[in-house]
Amino acid sequence: MSQLTFETINTTVLNTLARPGKIYWCIIALLFAGVVLGASCWAYQIFVGVGVAGMNTPVHWGTYLINFVFWVGIAHSGTLISAILFLFRAGWRNPIARAAETMTVFAVCIAGLFPFIHLGRVWLVFYMLPIPNQRTLWPNFQSPLIFDVIAISTYLTVSSLFWYTGLIPDLAIIRDRSNGIKKKIFKILSLGWSGTTGQWLNYTRAYMLFAGLATPLVISVHSVVSWDFALSVTPGWHTTIFAPYFVAGAIHSGLAMVLTLSIPLRKIFKYESLITINVLENIAKTIVFTGIIVGFSYGTEVFISWYSQNIIEMETFRWRAFGHYAPEYWIMIICNTIIPLFFLLKKCRTNVIWLFIISIFVNIGMWFERFVIIAGSVAHDFLPNAWGHYRPTWVEGGIMLGAFCLFFFLFLLFVKHLPSVSMTEMKELNHKTE
Amino acid sequence: MTTDAIIVTGLFKNQKETLAAVEKIQKQGWVVTEVHSPIPSKSLAKALGRKKSKIGWFTLVGGIIGFFSGFSLAVFTATRWNLIVSGKPIVSWIPFFVIAFECTILFAVLGNVLGVLTQVGLPQKDYEKNYDPECSGTLYGIEVASTKENVDSLKELLSRAGSLKGQRENK
Amino acid sequence: MTPIDTIDTIDTIDTIIKEPPAKFKKSIMVIPPIIAIAGILFFIFFATSAHPEKAWLVYLTNFLFFTALSAGGLLFSTLMHFTKAKWSHNLAGIAESFAAFFPVSFILFILLFIGQDHVFTWIGVDLHGKGIWLNIPFLFFRDFIAFLILYCLGFAYLYQTLKFRLKNAGKETWLKQFLFRRFEKTPHDPEKIKHRMTIFAGWYMLAFALVFALTGFDLVMSMDPHWYSTLFGAYTFIKAIYAGFGAIIILASILHLNPNFSFNLSSSQLRDMSTLFFGFSIVWGDFFYSQFVVIWYGNIPEETAYIIERTMTSPWKWLAWTVFIVCFIMPFIILLSRKIKESPWCMIVVSSFVLAGLWIEHFLLLGPSYLDHEYFVHNTGIFPISISELIISLTFLSLLIIAILFYLKQFPELLKKGSGEVVQWK
Repeated sequence: MSQLTFETINTTVLNTLARPGKIYWCIIALLFAGVVLGASCWAYQIFVGVGVAGMNTPVHWGTYLINFVFWVGIAHSGTLISAILFLFRAGWRNPIARAAETMTVFAVCIAGLFPFIHLGRVWLVFYMLPIPNQRTLWPNFQSPLIFDVIAISTYLTVSSLFWYTGLIPDLAIIRDRSNGIKKKIFKILSLGWSGTTGQWLNYTRAYMLFAGLATPLVISVHSVVSWDFALSVTPGWHTTIFAPYFVAGAIHSGLAMVLTLSIPLRKIFKYESLITINVLENIAKTIVFTGIIVGFSYGTEVFISWYSQNIIEMETFRWRAFGHYAPEYWIMIICNTIIPLFFLLKKCRTNVIWLFIISIFVNIGMWFERFVIIAGSVAHDFLPNAWGHYRPTWVEGGIMLGAFCLFFFLFLLFVKHLPSVSMTEMKELNHKTE
Repeated sequence: MTTDAIIVTGLFKNQKETLAAVEKIQKQGWVVTEVHSPIPSKSLAKALGRKKSKIGWFTLVGGIIGFFSGFSLAVFTATRWNLIVSGKPIVSWIPFFVIAFECTILFAVLGNVLGVLTQVGLPQKDYEKNYDPECSGTLYGIEVASTKENVDSLKELLSRAGSLKGQRENK
Repeated sequence: MTPIDTIDTIDTIDTIIKEPPAKFKKSIMVIPPIIAIAGILFFIFFATSAHPEKAWLVYLTNFLFFTALSAGGLLFSTLMHFTKAKWSHNLAGIAESFAAFFPVSFILFILLFIGQDHVFTWIGVDLHGKGIWLNIPFLFFRDFIAFLILYCLGFAYLYQTLKFRLKNAGKETWLKQFLFRRFEKTPHDPEKIKHRMTIFAGWYMLAFALVFALTGFDLVMSMDPHWYSTLFGAYTFIKAIYAGFGAIIILASILHLNPNFSFNLSSSQLRDMSTLFFGFSIVWGDFFYSQFVVIWYGNIPEETAYIIERTMTSPWKWLAWTVFIVCFIMPFIILLSRKIKESPWCMIVVSSFVLAGLWIEHFLLLGPSYLDHEYFVHNTGIFPISISELIISLTFLSLLIIAILFYLKQFPELLKKGSGEVVQWK
């Protein structure tokens, strides 16, 4: 850290914004093709009807909801890193804060798409918005689904504003070191920032308030998402632990995604001096912590299902472990609680290959957790007569692929056109530690 | 500031030197009007006598408005048709609290943004006056107010204090 | 034996050899033991009266409250060490004093089972199969082991951290003598000691979560054996952390304000501690709401009966509203102000109110299981908390104070300025 100066920080990050090569554009084209594939599947669904997806009695919520919860979860740890760790004054967050916050904004955008996709008749989406109309019909604000509308829109707005506000000083740096059209664009984007003491004083206060507001927002948004399920009476869904359990799980999966994104980023952009192995190690340690919380939640749910002596609860949890979706359940348990324990070994925490591989496993595990909870509970609820199975169709698969491609597409566009490490925050850290 | 006041600027390498220079200049009786820096600094703000930020009030007011708006929205919409849905009271505070909470955060953030726009003074079209592009990168720029006559002595003072590039002067 | 890596200055020639004993006012040393002894006698009288379940209800409430508070206090120190926080060294030293209550709590736990017939409301009730979990021998055994493990881990952590906190090889307090004799035999490498501290801190925190979840299920939730809530365990340990932090603020502020001790709390330290406390008031509120909204919305009678009795029937609803206002609304609004967060007097008042609220909350959760609804119907105007409850609670409080005083007397350097500011954590 000591060989970093303001100038080296600037140049290391600004060098990443140089003209990209052919390989980059090829990957972008490939990802874009994936997005188009997803969009086509969605167009097909709009044209033919939502029945082309696999949802049917009894499982009415399938991969669309699973992906919705998955992407909201990933968004959360971005805010954890950029806002919550900021409040705790954890300096190790500075190198990854920008990439994490960007990940949040894109993940929320994609998450917001899924309820829209799930609608089927997407032209009726305005029903969910409180718009005055002749029939004086309004959304039912008692419904957790409407909580979601308000919560996700708030989250998207707040994250975008937070992200943009954080970018302003960095945009000024790019403006001051570029010419021509690029200078004109960044002149507009940076809003005339000149770094005067008055500006900095107000800016830091606003940033602190942003972080202070984003923290309860993060917790409330994923609690609201969890209440989509917990406020029902379906066994396996109706349980009080969902809110903190989902928040911890969200952070768990999001941190894994941060690792998945930042390890290649670090290698390709030569960010080793900025995103040090210590930063990655701290993320790994936090993953152990969230993994323990998730494991605790699994154990508590199983214990209480027995304690309740309610035959339906007991059957739900027995079936989860040994029923039709048992493979998914055990993937979930192993990937989310057992594999992260490898991070207790320092060798695993400090080796980028191990970090990357384990992060992929955690992401897979967390996706399957949502599958087990969402599809698994409804498939096997009260009446044996109503039990059924669910299998996603190619339409859902295409849309899911499109969503993943969209995320990486947006993220790759971002890293080459905007600074993926916050130069200002790195300089602040550098200044504090020297 | 009088109409023929001139701003003389100087550039400095790091925060320590900048603070020392500001002290020196202020001791000689000059008024340091502004300092441009690449990172925030509490000590510089104190040296220039900057007052505490008022943005918090924007946020607080926004939050309070949001809290009541959230409840109002939910209560208003529920009472239009007075239908009992799934056995819950028509005006039920417990779920409405979630709406109020989210609106509190939303409006508080909008208040925050309003605060940023007004207090930080963005967007600013003429930021380039007295501003050196290096101030976003690595250097600290000091602006000192002076009259036409004293420009040269001020320039000398700045270079003695450790200023790097040639001192500019602008109106 | 030389102290390890100290950057603290040695005060006078005297203190090199001997740390002067802590100067406590005579009244502080005398009054708590008197209250404790009187209270114990009162309890015995109360427990053998016509309504022993009322006595054991208060005993259980106080046992749970003060155990949670003391374990949460030590948790602060382990948490600060584990996250390598640099701002809280002397606060952590004070926080560790709460561990002195652990042996008292353990004995109180064992004594709880003297009144087992009155403590456990499910004895003789048809438990529909829960009997293999809810039976006295198994419950006693598992909670005994749980507390034992938790307290041993706490002491193991404390043992290591005292190697950094105890400055002088003082020969005047017997506990210090004992410890130093053991310290001499162990290696003095600070890195190794810090590593051990980190390991014990981590295990303590894990054990804390698991033990309080378990005892929350066993000693509180089971009192209404047909009700359950998966979040209840986590809710219990969040309450414990909240209470522990409040207690640390009170103790640290009292010591800071007392002119006899050079213990000093900087305003930024107090502000950070108060901000953490504020954060936990929101976390507590969130956990409370999570349980409440799910049960309210689902409206399943199996679950709602518990909540309705405690939040919507007289006299419990008054207690419930008090808890909500005092533990959430009041700290949320008041602690938004920076000035209040930095003022020891204000924080003592706010924390005391919050702790009182948390005590009432513990009582509220247990009360209706012991005091039948019929009791209040036939005796209108009776409030469940009366003088007897206050006396017994003061007794427990005195026991806590005695434990802390004992600890601080044994290790007087914790009361001095700059205690704990010994090693720069990296």
